[in-house]
Order: sequence, then C-alpha cells, then structure tokens
Amino acid sequence: MKLALVVQRYGVGINGGAELHCRWIAEHLKKYAEIEVLTTKALDYITWKNHFPQDEEVINGILVRRFPVTRPRRPEKFGRLQNQLLGQEHSDADELRWLDEEGPLAPSLIDYIRENEQDYDYFIFFSYRYYHSYWGIQTLPQKSILVPTAERDPVIGLRLFKDLFRKPRALIYNSVEERRMINALSQNESVFGDVVGVGSEVPAAPSAEAFRQKHGVSSPYLIYIGRVDENKGCHKLFEYFIRFKKEAPSGLRLVLAGSTVMRIPACPDILYLGFMREDDKFNALAGAELLVMPSFFESLSMVTLEAWALGKPVLANALCDVLKGQCLRSNGGLFYENYPEFREGLSLLLGSPRLRQTLGGNGRKYFEENYCWEVIEKKYLAVFDRLETEKEKAS
Amino acid sequence: MSQQSENTPGKKSDIEIDYDHLDVARIMDEIKARLAGESGRESSSAGAPDSARVPDFDLESGDGQPPARGRVRRLLLKLMSPFRPVIKLLILPVYDEFQQTVRILHNTNIRLDHLYEVTDRDRHNTIVRLDRLREYTKLLHSLSHNLVVEMTKLKIENDTLKARLEIMEKDFDFLGQRERALEREVFE
Repeated sequence: MKLALVVQRYGVGINGGAELHCRWIAEHLKKYAEIEVLTTKALDYITWKNHFPQDEEVINGILVRRFPVTRPRRPEKFGRLQNQLLGQEHSDADELRWLDEEGPLAPSLIDYIRENEQDYDYFIFFSYRYYHSYWGIQTLPQKSILVPTAERDPVIGLRLFKDLFRKPRALIYNSVEERRMINALSQNESVFGDVVGVGSEVPAAPSAEAFRQKHGVSSPYLIYIGRVDENKGCHKLFEYFIRFKKEAPSGLRLVLAGSTVMRIPACPDILYLGFMREDDKFNALAGAELLVMPSFFESLSMVTLEAWALGKPVLANALCDVLKGQCLRSNGGLFYENYPEFREGLSLLLGSPRLRQTLGGNGRKYFEENYCWEVIEKKYLAVFDRLETEKEKAS
Repeated sequence: MSQQSENTPGKKSDIEIDYDHLDVARIMDEIKARLAGESGRESSSAGAPDSARVPDFDLESGDGQPPARGRVRRLLLKLMSPFRPVIKLLILPVYDEFQQTVRILHNTNIRLDHLYEVTDRDRHNTIVRLDRLREYTKLLHSLSHNLVVEMTKLKIENDTLKARLEIMEKDFDFLGQRERALEREVFE
C-alpha cells in the first residue's frame, strides 16, 4: 500500500499541532506502508513564504515532496476578508476567495495529486481549513481520507466546509467532540469515520531534577506548555494565577514553555522559559504538580495527553468542550469555567497529593488504552482495511 | 474504599473524594455546589452594610483622659496650689471647651474607623459582585458568539433548502409537461 500524507507544512522543527500530528503518523505508518509526504515549501504559518529550497528531501526515512507557494498570505487583507465573511452575507465565490487568501496557495501540489493519483492508494489530508485539503479532496474524493483537526472556530460554519466533510472516503477524528461537531454541522454521518487521535513520543524516564537544576526552580510549580497566546486563553490564565497567588500566598510558580506572541505579566511567580526541546519539556512536565490548559479551542491537545502519559493531572478550561470531555472520560483532570472554579480546583489539587496521584494514574491509564502508538496504528490500519473491503465489494 | 476530605491551602475543603472510584464529574458538581452556596451567602451579607448602624458619639462621656503628668508639672501645680481656685475660675470656660473638643475628636475618630470598616466591607462585596458580573458577561459573550455561529449555519441551511425546493419545483413542472406530452403522443 502506498499512502500520501498531505499537509500545509512539514519538517522536524515544525511543531504546530496538525503538522506534528502528520509527521508522527507518517513515521509510525511507514512500517506498514510506503509513505510519502506532499507539502509546501513554507515554514511560517502566518505568511506561508517559501523557505525550503529543495523540491524533495528525506526526513526520518520519509520522502517529502515540496511544492512552492505561489502567493504568500497577506495577513491584513486576509483578516479583513475573514471578518467580512463571518459578519456579513456572502456568496460561495467569497468563500473560495477567502480560502485562496488563507493559503497556502500551492496549485502545483493539487496538480501533482491529479496527475499522479494512480501511484497512491490513499491521500490523507491534514487540517480541513487549508487550500491543500479543500482542493485535494475536491480533486480526488474517492481516494481521500481527511484528518480534520477541527476546533470550535467560527470558520467551520462556512458553506464550503459543509460539503467538504461529506466528500472524502473516510474521516479520522481527534476526539468524540470533534466528531459530534462535524456531524452536526454537515450531516456527514454516512461518511465512514473513527475517533483515533494521535500518540506521543514519551521518554522512558524524564528527570524532574534535571529541569529544576537547569532552571533553578526549587518551589512547586504548575506548567503550561504551548504557544503563549491570547487565543490559547493565556491572558485568563495569568489573571487567574496572579489573583490566586494574592488570595493564597505560597511558593507556587507558573512555568511557561513555548514561544510567545503576547506580553507576559512581570510577576516574579511566572517563569517564562521559551521554546523547549522535547526532552526538556518532558523533564519540566515530570517535575510539575499539574498541567494547566487554559485554551478555549482545541481539537485534541497533545500536551494534555503527554501530561497524562507521565501520570500528571490536568486543570483545563471547561469552555473548551474537547478538554472537558477528555477530563470526564479519563477522570484525569479537573476543569474550570471562571475564577472561583479555577481557585477551588487548583486548591483541591494542590492540597491533596493523593488526588493528584489518582487523577494522574487515571490519565495514564486513559492514555495507554486510547493514545499509545499501538492503538493508534491499529485504528489507522482498521480504517484502511475497511476501505479496501468496501473497494473490493464495489468492484 | 477510602473516602476523605483533605485540607486545601488557606481553607478547609468540605469536598469528599472517593479515591477508589474517583469521579471527576462528581467532584466538579460538588465544587459548583459549594461555590453556589458561597455566592448565596455573599449575596445575603452584601445587604448588611445598608442596615448597619453607625454609633452616635456621646459628648458627655468621660473617656480620653489627658496623659500622665510629669514631675515638673506636678511641682508647678503644687506651687500654684494656693492660687488654684483663682486660676480655675479664670480658665474654666476655656478648659471646658478644650475637654469637649478632645472628646469630640476622639469620638469622631471612632466613628471614622467604623465607617472605614463598613466601606471596606462594602468595597469587598462590590468587587465580588463585579467579578461575578464579569464572569456572567463572559458567558453571555460566549453564548452570543455561539448563537451567531448557529444562526449563520441555520441561514445557510435555509438558503440551501430554498434552492433545493426551487429545483424540485422546476423538476416537478418539467415532469408535468413531459407527462402531458407523453400522454398526447400515446393518444395520437
């Protein structure tokens, strides 16, 4: 079997959710099938400017074909167009114009799919909202599998996506909530779909001590891992944490790991450590009392799964239905909708090591049962088996 | 089965946790119930400052005595003791005024302290109410946002259904015409 994984960006240093998801799936499926990645030459997800010069390269044993972006995104124009589209009546042509503006505009990638479709058994598209997925699926719906990685974000209500979700042969969802949302939006229950998600590369023995020594952190701490961004709910996290510290003074600190696109409050209890290597990240997570996830929109939250894999409890934003659903299904974390709930949840977790341990243990069990690589690989293989059986029946 | 409450920093938690059958939904329900209870108590105590009585001060009360006299002062007073009745007679009106002023100032101080306490409590309750309002506003904002999204989707659905209906009407007309034409052909 030969599979093509199609994604907006691809590379070892690219850590965006869907891109990393795609890379891990490619690297884990390569033992079962011949895998190629079709992607663009872009590195920056805001402008999609061409960055990688090579047309082809091999990354961790996977052949990656790169196609040029013909026009970089103009963020201001795109922002205006999106506001107009979400706030006013508009036509289908406006939506397609928005899709072109969003990018990454790589028509040669779509041409390649059209011209070489007989070389591949299936094309797996990652991220529903980009140019490559929309036009790729329109070009070849009978061989398409879509991994939507959809969040509860207003653009999902656009007309063009409603039809898109009905077109592919199969959909691979990240969570039950994502599936429910897409089913409700596009009535695509007739399209085969399964909730699979993605695993994680968890080191065997992360060292909390190494992290504490490296960064001079001796007091207990909460950790947030991810982009420090208002869209990720970080402004609320800062507000709640500072207020919590005023009301219940202690040595507790908040450690932030990830790149930042917003101003971080000058509070001595908030320790910003920037983007971390994977081993550093797991060391930091291992030493934390708990992971805090303030994001409003998540499709899966890989970092939450990683925390559970290490047996750490999670305090998540309940306004994100995926995070709340994951906490309830796993019994691995508490959640909050407002400051009083944040305060109570955090106090309860900090005050009870046994509760943290039990929640973390439940989270680990949930991770092992649903998100370890063996389970993920089996689920992907089951999807291919089913599609093959259907194909045989049809022929 | 182990079931227990544990202390949380700063306050005693009354949430009972069954560690052998941990249920996050139940813990969250208890947290919400507890917060709802606290919110109710805050609301009822928020009315207290309105009915709080500010104590009246008593001009006749005799507290607020002058500080202890020094040795020199006592000696001078002893020397002047023969003239005390005359001096007392001369400064009596001023002394009375002075004593009264001291008492007034003292009582005003007490009253200001009390008012400060009341205002501080009032301010704290107002902050709590404002926080709650802010959270409600956020929820309402989120609700409005979701409503707008849902309404947009419904509008899109409505448009699609209308277009489909028009197509079906046209198909129906066409089929009617076709039927009549076929009938004509058959009869002819």
